[in-house]
Amino acid sequence: MSETVLRKPAVLASARGGRRLRPEGDRSALARMVIACLCLVLAATIVFSLAFGASDASVLSVVKTLIAGTDAADNGLSVRDRIIIYDIRLPRVILGALIGASLAVSGAVMQGLFRNPLADPGIVGVSAGAGLGAVSIIVLGGTFLAPMIALFSLYALPLAAFFGALIFTLVLYRVATRRGQTSIATMLLAGIALGAMAAAYIGVLVYIADDKQLRDLTFWGLGSLAGANWVKIAASGPLIALALVISPFLARGLNGLALGEASASHLGIPVQRFKRIAIVTVAAATGASVAVSGGIGFVGVVVPHLLRLVIGPDHRYLLPAAALLGASLLLIADAVSRTIVAPSELPIGIVTAAVGAPFFLWILLRRRGILDL
Amino acid sequence: MIRVSNVSVSLGRSRIVEHVSFDAEAGAFCVIVGPNGSGKTTLMRALSGDLPHEGVISINGVPINRLKLWQMASMRAILPQSTSLSFPFTVREIVKLGMTSGRSGAARHNVETLPDEALERVDLAGFGGRFYQELSGGEQQRVQLARVLCQVWQPVLDGQPRFLFLDEPVSSLDIKHQLIIMQIARDFADRGGGVIAILHDLNLTSMFADRVVVMHKGRADSVGTPMEVLTDDRILRVYECALKVGGLPGKSVPFVLPQSATF
Repeated sequence: MSETVLRKPAVLASARGGRRLRPEGDRSALARMVIACLCLVLAATIVFSLAFGASDASVLSVVKTLIAGTDAADNGLSVRDRIIIYDIRLPRVILGALIGASLAVSGAVMQGLFRNPLADPGIVGVSAGAGLGAVSIIVLGGTFLAPMIALFSLYALPLAAFFGALIFTLVLYRVATRRGQTSIATMLLAGIALGAMAAAYIGVLVYIADDKQLRDLTFWGLGSLAGANWVKIAASGPLIALALVISPFLARGLNGLALGEASASHLGIPVQRFKRIAIVTVAAATGASVAVSGGIGFVGVVVPHLLRLVIGPDHRYLLPAAALLGASLLLIADAVSRTIVAPSELPIGIVTAAVGAPFFLWILLRRRGILDL
Repeated sequence: MIRVSNVSVSLGRSRIVEHVSFDAEAGAFCVIVGPNGSGKTTLMRALSGDLPHEGVISINGVPINRLKLWQMASMRAILPQSTSLSFPFTVREIVKLGMTSGRSGAARHNVETLPDEALERVDLAGFGGRFYQELSGGEQQRVQLARVLCQVWQPVLDGQPRFLFLDEPVSSLDIKHQLIIMQIARDFADRGGGVIAILHDLNLTSMFADRVVVMHKGRADSVGTPMEVLTDDRILRVYECALKVGGLPGKSVPFVLPQSATF
């Protein structure tokens, strides 16, 4: 066809500051730039989190240690600081980053799957399902679930949470979706019912729990990164890593699904198989996160929403950007939770809910129309 | 060629389409007409591979239930009646989705400019940066057509004809854009591809179609050229409406036929 017509300025964005011409409406260059920036932000947040706390090792000496390794004598860190950084802060930072990333990614995948921006594992009851799985292991692990623990040892808790999340996601999808269309109202109502159901069963389990189990449950249920250690990373890390590795491969399918199930399959996407993979991914990311840190709400709805405003909903960019921003934000929230009531610390779930819930209301206020879909 | 032979489709227990047979050749514009509830859309969904069917539907000689989804995606593209989105995609991002699967057949150097070319085709040049959700229904429909065109940009690829399925492509459009869309479909057929469209407008049908399939109560009442098919008694029987083909209104009423357009 006529190429000369295409080059006319109405179609292409005007050159800004001598930069390469990009067609109007193409946000991929912006998205790549945002992702690069988010990489830097995450790196800075990690270093800051390692250096920041009751024992004030300087940022510089922390960076030196990280580069030179523990054995280098001349890195300006005392033995005490080294232990604090390697055995307390580093696992906490790694776990925080993994969980932040997995919460944000599971939110983004779920929103793409249900084709609506309000779907979030915490809001529609999937986290509650994961919680039910986790509580079952904590309370019944000594009795009739003992073979599970013998078989899976430290993986039993995250796996139970994963299956809890998986079952709840499947039920939710079954109830809320009919002939390839998801009703937002039905989804939210089903989420309320699932959340109530999980709360009831958890209540029963709490009632029969003994004193030690009650203490475990309380610590777990606060939604906290406190007590992060290498064992917890070994237990939940693989499931989270698996979900994070799978997620980029979901991008094309989620983009197609935005057009509706029929159109997605007309584009050549195997929709049924794709949905199964996406649901398992959401369940793995949510289950593993909940198993370690309890309920940390609103990261999954706030992070993708903010990113869509800037780089658009193309999942090829949205998913990695959500992982990076989710990790950074959770580390910042953790820093706040460690210091705001120092020397004690606030559960991080309280921090994310305090900021995230008003933000969620703001989304609702701006986009009330979507509920009428 | 799309060959539909003895195809029946059931939804639940009720049989919606019964024993329909027709051919839609490459190079021809085939239009399916019929009253509401006559089974047009169900037939189209079976052709698209969305519904199980009895009988045989084949594309270029291969039954569609032997084709993988990605293979079908490179042989035909489908324009749905309407598409609403819940995420803020730009028009250009939507059109580019048509290029993520299938094979547009555009030359490599053309790939970057293809979305703009497609938008220009549907009279939406310069709309690339707008948000899809902010467009009117008719504009959204044309954006979707641009996306669908990107999926099968070349009507013939590797010697095989490709097909456009259009489900009521002009239902939400003004008369100018109705004509533009019909021209695009006509042009696709003239360049060697095949088109199957569901239409309600009998005037546009008689103007553009090579072959008309009249659906009535789930069956193909008749298949033929517009001249053969559009008769007074058939319209009375199928649409239950006493109309006179070629009849003119009384002098006091203005009437505008698409046939009077000069291109």
